[in-house]
Amino acid sequence: MQHLDRAHKAAWTGLLIVALLLPALVAFDTYLIHVAITITLNVALATSMWMIWSLGFISFAHAGFMGIGAYTSALLLTKLGISMWYGLWLGALMSGLIALIISVPLMRTRAVYFFMASWAVGEVIKRNFAYFRDLFGGWDGVFDINPAKINLGFVQIDFADRVAYYYLSLFFVALIVLIIHRTNSSRTGMMYWSIHENELLAQHTGVNVFREKVIAFTVACTLAGLTGALYAHYQTYISPKSFDIWKSEFALVHVIVGGLTTVGGPVAGAISLTIVDELLRATGYFRTMFFGVVLIATVILLPGGLETIPGRLRRLFQRSGK
Amino acid sequence: MKQLEIKNLTMAFGGITAIDGIDMAVEEGEIRGLIGPNGAGKTTFFNACSGRYPVTSGDITFRGHQISGLKPHEIARLGLVRTFQHVTLFKSFSVVKNVMAGNYLHAQHSYFGSLLRTRKTRRAEADSEQRAREILDFVGLGDIADKTASSLPHGHQKALGIAIALAAEPQLLLLDEPCAGMNNDESRQMINLVRRIRDTGVSVMLIEHDMKVVMGLCDKITVLNFGNIIAEGTPAEVREHPEVREAYLGSQANVT
Ligand SMILES: Nc1ncnc2c1ncn2[C@@H]1O[C@H](COP(=O)(O)OP(=O)(O)OP(=O)(O)O)[C@@H](O)[C@H]1O
Ligand SMILES: [Mg+2]
Repeated sequence: MQHLDRAHKAAWTGLLIVALLLPALVAFDTYLIHVAITITLNVALATSMWMIWSLGFISFAHAGFMGIGAYTSALLLTKLGISMWYGLWLGALMSGLIALIISVPLMRTRAVYFFMASWAVGEVIKRNFAYFRDLFGGWDGVFDINPAKINLGFVQIDFADRVAYYYLSLFFVALIVLIIHRTNSSRTGMMYWSIHENELLAQHTGVNVFREKVIAFTVACTLAGLTGALYAHYQTYISPKSFDIWKSEFALVHVIVGGLTTVGGPVAGAISLTIVDELLRATGYFRTMFFGVVLIATVILLPGGLETIPGRLRRLFQRSGK
Repeated sequence: MKQLEIKNLTMAFGGITAIDGIDMAVEEGEIRGLIGPNGAGKTTFFNACSGRYPVTSGDITFRGHQISGLKPHEIARLGLVRTFQHVTLFKSFSVVKNVMAGNYLHAQHSYFGSLLRTRKTRRAEADSEQRAREILDFVGLGDIADKTASSLPHGHQKALGIAIALAAEPQLLLLDEPCAGMNNDESRQMINLVRRIRDTGVSVMLIEHDMKVVMGLCDKITVLNFGNIIAEGTPAEVREHPEVREAYLGSQANVT
C-alpha cells in the first residue's frame, strides 16, 4: 500500500525535529509556545476530522466530540478530583462511546443529509453543555481545570509550565497523527477510500460498509475527545462556546487548504493557518472573513491544497531541467 | 450439483413487478445466459441474487445457504459476486489497487495489524498485491496495472470490473452485459475470458444483448420477458422457440 517515499520521510523527520527543538528555537518565548500548543491541538483536530473524510464524510459534530472529551476530563478533576492522567483517557473513551451510539443512526445518512445531521449533533452536544447548569456549569463553563504534576523522584514536572505542556501535547498529537497515518496507509485505509470512491462496489466485494463507517467515526471521535481533554487542561477553562460549529468549520478549512488526500494535508493546513490566524489577531473581526478568503483562494488558485505543492515543484524543476 | 436455486422469486418496486414469481437453477460449472428485452428484469434479477435490493418474496439458495435476506457483503463472502451493467470501479485508484481493494475478503484485514504493521500484515499486503497482479495478467490488463482506472478505455474498464470481482474469489460470477459497448475484437477477447474463468472452476451467469455472444458462449439460456421466464434451454432450443422470436426479437427477426 502507499508507503512513504524518501522525500516524505525526510519531510516528516524534519518536522518532528523542529517540533522537538521548538521551545529553544523560539527562545522560550511564552507567547510563541502558546501558539505552538494551539498548533498541536489544531493539527490533532484537523487530522481526526480528515480520517472521517477518508470514508467520504465531513462531520460538523467534530468539535462537539472534542467538547465531550474536554468536559469529561474537566469534570472528573473539578468534581471528583481525578487527575488529568486518567481524565485524558476517560475523556477520549467517553467521546468514543457517545460517538459509537450516535453513529449507528448517523452513519446511515449520506451526503447532504449527513452534513445536516452531523451539524445538528454538534449543536445538540453544545446545547447540552449549556442547558445542564448543575453538571456542566451552563454558559459560564468550567473553571480551574488544572493540569497535573508528576514527581519522578529526582525531578518534578509541573504541567502548568508551558514548555512542559507543549511536550505533553506534542507527544499525544504525534501519537494521534501516527495512528491515523498507519491506519490510512494500510489495508484499513484502502478499505476506507474504497468506500469513499464507490460504496456500492465495496459492499459487493465483501466490505461491511456500515460497520466500517461506525468504527472509523468512533475512532476519529475518540481521538477528538483526547484532543479536547488536552485542550481543557491547557486552557484551564472551557465553555460550550469553545466547541461550537465554528471550531469544526475552522478544522474543515484546515483540511481543505492543507489537502484532502494524504495525512500531510490536514497537518500542513493546521500548522500554516494557525500561524496566519495568529498574525491576523490584531485585525480582530477580519480574521473570520480572512478564513473565507483563504478557503476560496485555495480552491481556485491551488486546487488540491498545500499537499500538492511538493509535486508541483517537482514537475516545475523537471520541466526546467529538460 | 445445483449451485444457485431460485424459488418463486418476486421483485416489486412500488407498482412495478420487475420479477414475477420465477424459478430457476444454475448448475456448478455452467455458463448460463440471461437474455430478454430492455426492462425485462435481468438486472433486477442480479440485484436480488447479490442482495442489493431485498427480495419481495421467494427464496434464493446458494450452495445450500439461504441468501435471500442477506446483505451484499455477506453474499459476496459466501462466494457469489456480481459485476455491474454500468462501469463500476474505484475510479481514482490505480488499476492494481482496484483489484487489491476487491481482494478485501481474502486479505486478512485487521485493525491492529494495520496499526502495528506486523510482519504478518506486511506479508498479507504483499501477497494481496501479488495476487492482484496475477488476476490482471489473467484478464489481460497486466501491462497497465499502474495506470489510473479512470484513464482506461471502455473495454479495459469493463475487464477491470471483472478483475475486481475475480479478486473476491467467487464460486459463481454474475456478469451484467460484459460486452456492452465493445467492438468485435474486444467482444471476442471477452468471450475468451469468460471461458477461461469457467475453466478455473467458476460458474458464470451473464446478461447479454448480443445474440452472437450468447449463442456461442452459453451452455444454457434463460429468456426473461416482463419478469417471467418464457423459455429456457440450450442455445439451439431457445433459438427455435416461437415465443422468444416474438417477444425478444420481434416476430420477423432472424435469429442467427
Ligand atoms: N430500483 C428500482 N426502482 C424502481 N423500478 C425499478 C428499479 N430497478 C428496476 N426497476 C424497473 O424494473 C424493470 C426491470 O428493470 P431491469 O433494470 O431489471 O431491466 P433489464 O432487463 O436489466 O433491462 P436492460 O436490458 O435495459 O438493462 C424496469 O421497468 C425498471 O424500470
Ligand atoms: Mg439491465
